[in-house]
Amino acid sequence: MNQLKQFFEPFAILKSRSILLLIVVQVIIALVVWQLTCGALIPTPTKVFQKMMSILGSSEFYDDFIASVSLIAQGMFISIAIALVLAYLSLIPFFRPLVEFVVKCRYLTLTGLIFLFTLLSSDGHALKIYLLIFGIVPFFLTSLLSVIDGISRQEIELCKTLRMNNWQTLLEVVIRGRLDQAFDVMRQNFAIAWMMITAVEAQSMSEGGLGTQLIKYNKYIDLSGVFAVLIIIFIVGVLCDFLLGKMRIWLFPYAKLQSIR
Amino acid sequence: MSNFTRQEVLLQAENISLRFDKLILRDINFQIHNIVREGHNQGQVVSLIGRSGIGKTQLFKILSGLLQPTTGKILLGEDLHPVKSGEVGIVHQNYILFNHRTIEANLKIGLDHCGKEMTDKEKESVIKEYAGHFDLLDHLKKYPMQLSGGQRQRVSIIQQVLTGNKFILLDEPFSGLDALMIDRVKDLLLKISTLHEHNTLIIVSHDIETTLSISDTAWIMAAQEGKEGATITEEVDLMKLGFAWNPNVKKEAAFRDLIESVKSKL
Ligand SMILES: Nc1ncnc2c1ncn2[C@@H]1O[C@H](COP(=O)(O)OP(=O)(O)O)[C@@H](O)[C@H]1O
Repeated sequence: MNQLKQFFEPFAILKSRSILLLIVVQVIIALVVWQLTCGALIPTPTKVFQKMMSILGSSEFYDDFIASVSLIAQGMFISIAIALVLAYLSLIPFFRPLVEFVVKCRYLTLTGLIFLFTLLSSDGHALKIYLLIFGIVPFFLTSLLSVIDGISRQEIELCKTLRMNNWQTLLEVVIRGRLDQAFDVMRQNFAIAWMMITAVEAQSMSEGGLGTQLIKYNKYIDLSGVFAVLIIIFIVGVLCDFLLGKMRIWLFPYAKLQSIR
Repeated sequence: MSNFTRQEVLLQAENISLRFDKLILRDINFQIHNIVREGHNQGQVVSLIGRSGIGKTQLFKILSGLLQPTTGKILLGEDLHPVKSGEVGIVHQNYILFNHRTIEANLKIGLDHCGKEMTDKEKESVIKEYAGHFDLLDHLKKYPMQLSGGQRQRVSIIQQVLTGNKFILLDEPFSGLDALMIDRVKDLLLKISTLHEHNTLIIVSHDIETTLSISDTAWIMAAQEGKEGATITEEVDLMKLGFAWNPNVKKEAAFRDLIESVKSKL
């Protein structure tokens, strides 16, 4: 009874077993609701599950999977590099207008720019990478800037009293001191990139990818196929998120000391 | 009681004033002298006492060279050169440390900028020595977030000492501590002040009793009637009064009277 009450208590700290229990129960409820409520149009969980198994069994899937993952890895890597450099440059007055502009690019919609990028890029792969970068960098940069804004004056003053010059201060506080948070920003924005992947892959189907599978199933109105691919994309995304989270704690052991959750 | 004298000026505040939208500080003048005490390696412990909001923190920043006063200057050392940031250490009230560095690495960064060439081995042994002295040996591999407030405070202070800062400003070092901890911090500060003849601790606090009990000189900051901005209204020479370096001073009636009279002037 006490435990049940805990589940609804703000800030309550649960044992990892209870958390697992919570997740399992909620997933089961969701599946049951889905099974019971879907009409003729929406496929049942069992049908989707069967489809998923057959997709996972095909060799085609693995090629697509690898295509998607390597595309996203490449896009993320370049985007991170660009966003980090821009974030650090934001502290140098000369570059501030540029950084502000990139941040505001969140309000530009991709659709109108696809044509431009198509003209600029040499092939389908380059086009996809451009689109990913253009989509991710503004969001990534926005989060990074808010990390930098969170740095207290006193930490900068500490550097001064320790006789560090401005560049050393930048390196110590902004770069080294916030690497764990930059990593977390990357993890959070990985979701945005992952979400974009299907839309981006639709622009150039020749290389395959999970996005092209999705489009294919959509075209043949094979809804259980669509759902199956969606769920696979979802699970892979969540798994990557989990791995990145673990990696953060392994890379930056001090990071977990600071979170309240 | 052994002999003591005040000798050369170590720090001089000259005509300091500070204006934001209104005048915060004005006409602040004082000198910190090197105290020479026979048979002791005696550093200086001085305090700035005033109500909160009076401008102590701003004066602090001016003293450390982080904030440029509207008029006047802070002069340091034998040649009385203007203060540059990095010559005066600050230990903030909330003991800021680099959270991404272990305690050992936090202390090492002090040595990295101390201006002396040292090998990593030498640094390590200096850090070990200080950590042993100040009860931190078990914590060197931990991160700041894993330490208690008192332990962090010690790390902060030692970090500044290792940087080679002879002047260390302490912002409210006794706030939020229980009576037992206050005594330990007092001992720590006295220990630091006697590490080197020129070590000078400048304490800003509203805990008048504790602060005065370890100071050799105190300045009272207050506003004067009819005038904008706070200034130093009085200097208390605890050394002359015989209250300095007396561990039992809190029990003396004359000291209690002094505290009462200081309180009435704030
Ligand atoms: N950046 C600022 N701009 C304007 N007024 C300020 C600023 N910082 C502090 N003050 C004012 O200066 C006065 C002194 O502040 P402070 O030095 O922090 O007081 P204390 O440390 O004695 O409690 C306060 O009245 C505060 O409102």
